[in-house]
Amino acid sequence: MATQTQPQSATDRSEAFRWSMVIDLDRCTGCEACVVACQSENNVPINLQSAYDQGRVLEWIRLERYWEGDFPNIKARFIPVLCQHCDNAPCEPVCPVYATYHNNEGLNVQVYNRCVGTRYCGNNCPYHARSFNYWEPVWPEELRHQLNPDVTVRTRGVMEKCSMCVQRIRRATRSKTPAQIPDGAFDPACVQACPTSAMTFGNSNNPESRVSKLREDERRFRVFESLGTDPNVVYLKQVDTNGA
Amino acid sequence: MALDEHAIPSFPTHQEVAKDILERYQTVDQRYWRWISVLALLFVAGIVGFVLRLNEGFGEESRSNWGYLVATLSFLLSTFLAMPILSAGLRLAKANWRRPFTRINENMAITGLLVYLMLIPALLALPATEGRLSVWFDFPHWMAFKGGNLMVWGTLVLIGLSLLLLVAAPDMAAVRDHMPNSRRGKIARIMAAGWVGSTRQWRVLHSGALLFGAFYLLLYPTVQTLMQADFQAGLLPGIKDAIAPATAVINALQGAVALTLVTMYIMRRFGGYERYFGIDQFWSLAKPLLAFSLLWFYFWWASFITFWYGRQPGESELLKLLILDSYRNPLMISFFLNFIGPLVALIWNPVRKSIWGPTLVAAGILVGGLINHIRWYVSAFSVEDPGQHVLSPIPAGQLPTASDALIVVGGISGCILLFMLISKLIPVISIWEVGEGLRLVKVRKFLGRYAIVIAKSH
Amino acid sequence: MYYRRTLTEAQINQQLLGTVLTTPLWWIIILSGLGIIVAGAVSAVGFMVNQGLGVTGLRQPVFWGFFITNFIFWVGISHAGVMISAILRLSQAEWRRPMVRAAETMTVFSLMASLVMPLIHAGRPWRIFYWVFPYDWARGIWPDVRSPLVWDPIAITTYLLSSTLFVYTALIPDLAIIRDRSTGWRKPVYGALALGWHGNPRQWKLQGLAGILLSALILPVFVSVHSIVSWDFGVSLVPSWHVTVFAPYFVIGAVHSGVSAVVTLMIIMRKLYKLENFIWEEHIDALARLLIVVASAWMFLFWLDLIFALWLKEEQEMTVWHLRMFEPPWSWLFFVFFMASFVIPVPLWLFRRVRRSFTWMLWTSLLVNVGMFLERFLIIVPALMRKGPMTFDYATYRPSPIEFTIIGGTIALVASFLLVFSKFFPLIPLWEEKEGQILIDSVRVGNVDVPGLVKE
Repeated sequence: MATQTQPQSATDRSEAFRWSMVIDLDRCTGCEACVVACQSENNVPINLQSAYDQGRVLEWIRLERYWEGDFPNIKARFIPVLCQHCDNAPCEPVCPVYATYHNNEGLNVQVYNRCVGTRYCGNNCPYHARSFNYWEPVWPEELRHQLNPDVTVRTRGVMEKCSMCVQRIRRATRSKTPAQIPDGAFDPACVQACPTSAMTFGNSNNPESRVSKLREDERRFRVFESLGTDPNVVYLKQVDTNGA
Repeated sequence: MALDEHAIPSFPTHQEVAKDILERYQTVDQRYWRWISVLALLFVAGIVGFVLRLNEGFGEESRSNWGYLVATLSFLLSTFLAMPILSAGLRLAKANWRRPFTRINENMAITGLLVYLMLIPALLALPATEGRLSVWFDFPHWMAFKGGNLMVWGTLVLIGLSLLLLVAAPDMAAVRDHMPNSRRGKIARIMAAGWVGSTRQWRVLHSGALLFGAFYLLLYPTVQTLMQADFQAGLLPGIKDAIAPATAVINALQGAVALTLVTMYIMRRFGGYERYFGIDQFWSLAKPLLAFSLLWFYFWWASFITFWYGRQPGESELLKLLILDSYRNPLMISFFLNFIGPLVALIWNPVRKSIWGPTLVAAGILVGGLINHIRWYVSAFSVEDPGQHVLSPIPAGQLPTASDALIVVGGISGCILLFMLISKLIPVISIWEVGEGLRLVKVRKFLGRYAIVIAKSH
Repeated sequence: MYYRRTLTEAQINQQLLGTVLTTPLWWIIILSGLGIIVAGAVSAVGFMVNQGLGVTGLRQPVFWGFFITNFIFWVGISHAGVMISAILRLSQAEWRRPMVRAAETMTVFSLMASLVMPLIHAGRPWRIFYWVFPYDWARGIWPDVRSPLVWDPIAITTYLLSSTLFVYTALIPDLAIIRDRSTGWRKPVYGALALGWHGNPRQWKLQGLAGILLSALILPVFVSVHSIVSWDFGVSLVPSWHVTVFAPYFVIGAVHSGVSAVVTLMIIMRKLYKLENFIWEEHIDALARLLIVVASAWMFLFWLDLIFALWLKEEQEMTVWHLRMFEPPWSWLFFVFFMASFVIPVPLWLFRRVRRSFTWMLWTSLLVNVGMFLERFLIIVPALMRKGPMTFDYATYRPSPIEFTIIGGTIALVASFLLVFSKFFPLIPLWEEKEGQILIDSVRVGNVDVPGLVKE
């Protein structure tokens, strides 16, 4: 943070970044490539069958699948849910140790070494975006070499969640101004891995970025809009060919 | 301890007290009738204001005209009609110092008649339950919320009156025996219902007083719940304020204590009742007054912090209406009069243990209470569309018109008028309660001083 | 009538100091048993700290479970002390005298037990010190005072400190009595604790003043502590938690739970310590009548909670309440809770015979606390299980044996603290009993002598 060249004042928005994501549900096939990519990029612990049985899966992005309709007209609806990086985040004021707060780039950041694990943030997140390390994460010897050195490995007792691959953001934007970073120059792991390009990431302070344009699409909606959390992740509604 | 440490406390006998009260009862005071006429005039002015408002109808467009009537209704419910709670509650708690003013509390039950009358136009001013929230679960028929309200409120008023009639019986018997041939004596004979003071009658009286008191105590929060739910919460889009009825009850208790103090003070000053309403009564009531003032803040804060913290859109709009924007000034005034003022004043021993201290604070509380009720109900009635999800637009604060002011003044005067009239019939100091209390005390020397011994007859 | 029996001062001294001056066998046996349970709980905690919170039943999305339930439960029990010593002292209720110290010490110990819970339920308890200690530890960051979890420890430690002060100041005259009767190493220790008490009028006056001041000052703390704890839930977005009535609802529930716990404690104390001369039917009768009022107020607030929860007909609120009331096994727990906290005990307490029977009161008061524990559980867990419309994430919470052990451990901890306390300090205040006897008098009404009290 100390090396940033961005202006300190959050009011000078035209110079600052505002990271945002748009997810097009019409394109999403539910393949979960984003989930796998996120796991490898961010050192998310490996979820064995026991994790699923115990309900302690650690997923920074997850696919929710809902069934709609009756047989034989059943449809599967997918929605990838990740931390929405809400501008009015309910998880932020309740942390007693400031382990989660909103930075001036619009991200909700999680500071692992401050977290004492009270889990109030997890209770207050309506998107269930936060995961807790109930056990000490263990990687088999062979897999330890594939851990990303840019990302902390969390210990037991710590909350974690999507950071919009803040390590990639830092790497790309270090010592650069927004003008020097073209739209699409880098992406979080999930966006990069998506085979159908359902996910778009970018700086919504830049009116020319794809994200800024897609955010205004007529199919746009945000999850749980009425709660007033003001998420930075916008979804585009799926359109059924038979008009549903 | 004896409050003047160097004097020997002395008490009159219960016979002396009975004689004194009956003498006051019998005398006719011109000043009394003068006040009655003034109050009656103000009450008629209130009716005029009501009729003026009536011309504007009860429809959707004119709902905001009725806010002040409903606010007055709620204020009267929370002061005059809350008085019997004090009588019942203090009797349950076996506080001896309540005896001189307990009849004031019970006599106030008569104001239920006027309050009940005011309920009718208030109910008519409410929109039907379709399309908006209510406790009546979508029953659109007028029977549901209008009938239900009338029934529950009516029961409350009836229980209050029954309590009054019951506990007045021994005193009416005293009046009957004291002045049998006067008009009041004849009415007293009927009201005494054959009271002779036998053991069985006393037992019935005591258990009946406790029972009716308990019913009143149980029913009152129900009435406040209906008042809040139907007249406030049902009109404010998106409000989910479960504590509001409890807040109303606590504020009502504060109002009841305050009104008791003010009434006692006025009776001391203008009625010559100093020997009945002494420092003990004022001091003992000042402590619950302080407690209820602190609780006023506590209940308000509980509601505020829940709404304010989450920054949710629906709740933020409601906060803007009730606290932060439209009705901020009434809230500030009420905040000061109902909380800051009482806290800062009543913390000091000399202020609590005086006659003027609690009275001044109580007067402020009554004014602040009225303003608070205006804030609750005028705001709710000025909302255009109760069926919205989120309040929009936020109505601005609504000042009273002349008719509104007349209605408020008329309502309050009407209740005072009823109280004064009933106190001409039923002795305003309870002969038997005070007498009972006097028979249970004695004075003795204790550790070098004089102290009072109070017998516990339970 | 608690005014009729009188004991001499010597008898009071001898009977109430018995536990301090001697060590009965049952005391050693019970304490050892409790000690084993506590040791088991401590090892369970150690195991949990070592392995991680995975040993509990917590899971996505139920982040809080038994431990927070227990936390709220113990804070609730702690409200008994202030209710009985402060409020009843200020309202000059005579029947409080035998219970004040036991209730106040139960407050202190239950607050200690409650403080244990947020420590061990955190993911990294060894880091907790950073949580609320108001110092920035060279990190440049202070605790976030926006968080209710920072208000909690402030409130609870304030309450703990003031209750400890309360217990201590009320102990001073009794400590002097023990000092005067002890020999050896005990004498200087009690002497130091007794702060030079000699029972002269000036000291008694200060003692009275201290009692009244502390009672008055602790009242705002009493109201605010459980309210602040309730705002852990109230300010969140979780449906059925985001309710304005939680503050008074929790406080009244705490008084209900706490006073019932005092009833339990009194009856057990009477049996174990043979205090029949001091704890009479009148005392539990009075407590039961207080409980009727408190429980009724609690029921009113519960109905407000329920009515207004369903008021907006928000789907998620209705889902949570549907789970609580109609879906087994939660519906069975709800039924037990409702029966145990109100429907069974309160109508029973309306009968004088029940109120004056030690057996009935023991069982009803225990029932109330079973119900109130379930009440806290039903507030916390079902709400988290159905937190949002994302039914894909719906799950069930089942507490693990580790959690049961630790909960049991806190109960054993409070009980053993009380037992150890009784070894060093008398559980019934000698001076309060003596003061009560001095104030007894009677008034002749007609041809009957009605017992009465000298009014302060």
